Amino acid sequence: MPNPKLTRACAALALSLVAGTALAAEKKLTIGVADALTGGGAVYGLPQANAVKMAAEEINAAGGIKVGADNYKLDVIAYDDKANPTEATNAVRKLIDRDGVKYILGFCCSGSTSAVASFIGNEKAVMLVGNAAERSITTKKIPNLVRTRPPADYTGQAAGTFIARKGQKRIAVLGALDVGFYAQYVDSVERELKKAGGEIIAREVFSLKDRDMTPQLTKIRGLNPDAILVVGYVEPAAFVYRQAVELGMKIPRYGFTSGSEEQFLRVTTSEQMEGVWDLRPTELTLLSASKNGVAYHANYTKKFNASPSPSSPYAYDQVYALKAAIEAAGTVDNTEAVAKALRNLPVPSQVVMQYQPVDGKMFDSNGQAYTSNGAFQWQKGQWVFVEDLPSDSKAYSQFLSTLN
Amino acid sequence: MLIEILQQTINGLAIGGVYVLIALGLTTVFGILGIAHFAHGSISMFGGYLTFFLVTAQGLPVLAAIPLALLAGILLGLLVEILAYRPVRNANHINAFIVALGLTMMVEGLNLQLFGHEQVVIPTGLSKVFRLGGITVPELRLYVILAAILLVVAMMIFVERTKTGQAIRAVAENRDAAILMGVNVKTIPLIVFSMSTALGVAAGIMVGALFAIAPGIGEGLVVKGFAVLILGGLGSFPGAILGGTVLGITESIAAGFISSAYKDVIAFVVMILVLLFRPQGLLGRAP
Repeated sequence: MPNPKLTRACAALALSLVAGTALAAEKKLTIGVADALTGGGAVYGLPQANAVKMAAEEINAAGGIKVGADNYKLDVIAYDDKANPTEATNAVRKLIDRDGVKYILGFCCSGSTSAVASFIGNEKAVMLVGNAAERSITTKKIPNLVRTRPPADYTGQAAGTFIARKGQKRIAVLGALDVGFYAQYVDSVERELKKAGGEIIAREVFSLKDRDMTPQLTKIRGLNPDAILVVGYVEPAAFVYRQAVELGMKIPRYGFTSGSEEQFLRVTTSEQMEGVWDLRPTELTLLSASKNGVAYHANYTKKFNASPSPSSPYAYDQVYALKAAIEAAGTVDNTEAVAKALRNLPVPSQVVMQYQPVDGKMFDSNGQAYTSNGAFQWQKGQWVFVEDLPSDSKAYSQFLSTLN
Repeated sequence: MLIEILQQTINGLAIGGVYVLIALGLTTVFGILGIAHFAHGSISMFGGYLTFFLVTAQGLPVLAAIPLALLAGILLGLLVEILAYRPVRNANHINAFIVALGLTMMVEGLNLQLFGHEQVVIPTGLSKVFRLGGITVPELRLYVILAAILLVVAMMIFVERTKTGQAIRAVAENRDAAILMGVNVKTIPLIVFSMSTALGVAAGIMVGALFAIAPGIGEGLVVKGFAVLILGGLGSFPGAILGGTVLGITESIAAGFISSAYKDVIAFVVMILVLLFRPQGLLGRAP
């Protein structure tokens, strides 16, 4: 005959365990993504949105985000902002006002991101910016905004030193120079070139939708530069590389584009790309990736049946940074506490990019993270990491703090 | 300098050829039926996408895919006339205008659903570059220029030398008189739309091979097409040919010698200047 007291005690224990588990398992945290899922910016935005979804699934599979006694499973809502400021504003308003989202990730492109950054400071929400490289996004001291990608001029400085070291003096630039951060990158390159006695002899422009670059390239060819520097989105940049070869230009080609092999090969052939340099943050390239990077590449490829773009881990890392910050803050509701925790966060162990922490923290006081910069070269069908470009994140962070 | 001018002219000829084909399609429909066929750009993109699909997903050689896409263009043109424009043919002009706008959105949506949002480039395997002195001409551009010339000549022969062509011109000139002369005016819109759409598809294939096809590109093309129409003279075939060529070369030379930042602006300034002195366009008839 079982002891009735023991039976009751066991039943109570079992009930409390079941109830506890049920409560922890049922909690859901919805995070939003505002990014370019279609249009010209989609080469960056779509892989970012995919990366957020993948990170969320990984976190959920590993038990979710622990906040006190609760476990939160992540649910992702993604809206297409088409890299357009108005669409981005609408997407974020919809996420905050209609869907009740407090954490918004993604943000590949500077124009749309700047539009959202202009009002996010007034919202009880946290904005995590990915690939958008316009410097001013993190100079406005917005307390609830952080960015995983370093600003363009931080990379431009390192790129200028690299080009000067290669001995090229007369550089022709062709790029999306009406986009602020590309112009900032070129200005930084020019400053470094001048220090070494070099100069930029032409600044030719293309727009996001341009595909015929032969007029600009013909003009550049007539100036006999030592090298060309191409700054812009992957697709127009790929056309520049292809058409430069078609026009018989055999000078070194440098770029700042962050496109994957797959993205370039949709437009050019590997032969037309051979020897092209990409001077950019040390983003995901399989040959230089960390253990996390290799796993990320494999998982992403398996899940989406396409290689991840080099910049996509900026968004993947946002999710893990957010997880760590929520766990550190011990709340999902108090966005101010989470934003503060982000600013004090050491680099989480799960991130893919190789961050250079400032004073041991992933984000500096401006909310800006820094990765190392690298020189990548197209060799026989793939981007090969050739060398690190010396970059001083602490010095740049101090400089960034002086700007408004 | 001379080499640069020649090179820029050749650069401009390829894109000019595309403009000519787009403008010819538009001018045929506008001149004969009085319809501003805004969906023409999206339909030409459909042709490019279809060719890409036939080559990459069905494994057809590009030379086999092109005639199939042109044939699909002809059929699509018939459908557009029967289903979209015929019901409003005798209604107020604004009705056809609204139908044209709606059709543009429909075809854009259809392209997006069928072929996705990614930019695609039609693989041709043509990567040789011909060099003559200091001038370089990529093989693909040369074939695009030649194909554009061929299509324009074929169309001119059709319009000028065949009975059907004469009937089309008669309807364009005076519809009532054409009816009195026994022209079957009911079939003319069908022929016009199929011809126009086939030309648009050809232009879409050229854009897809030379550059890329992506959502939104068709809109830009149709704007340029209408600009060419105005520059050359509304309803004038030779005007469309001259206007397209002039616009292509002007864009190229403007980008090369003035500023690439204002490439489009300069081209449109030239257009405005021409219209100041010849309001009827380069080859249009004065009212």
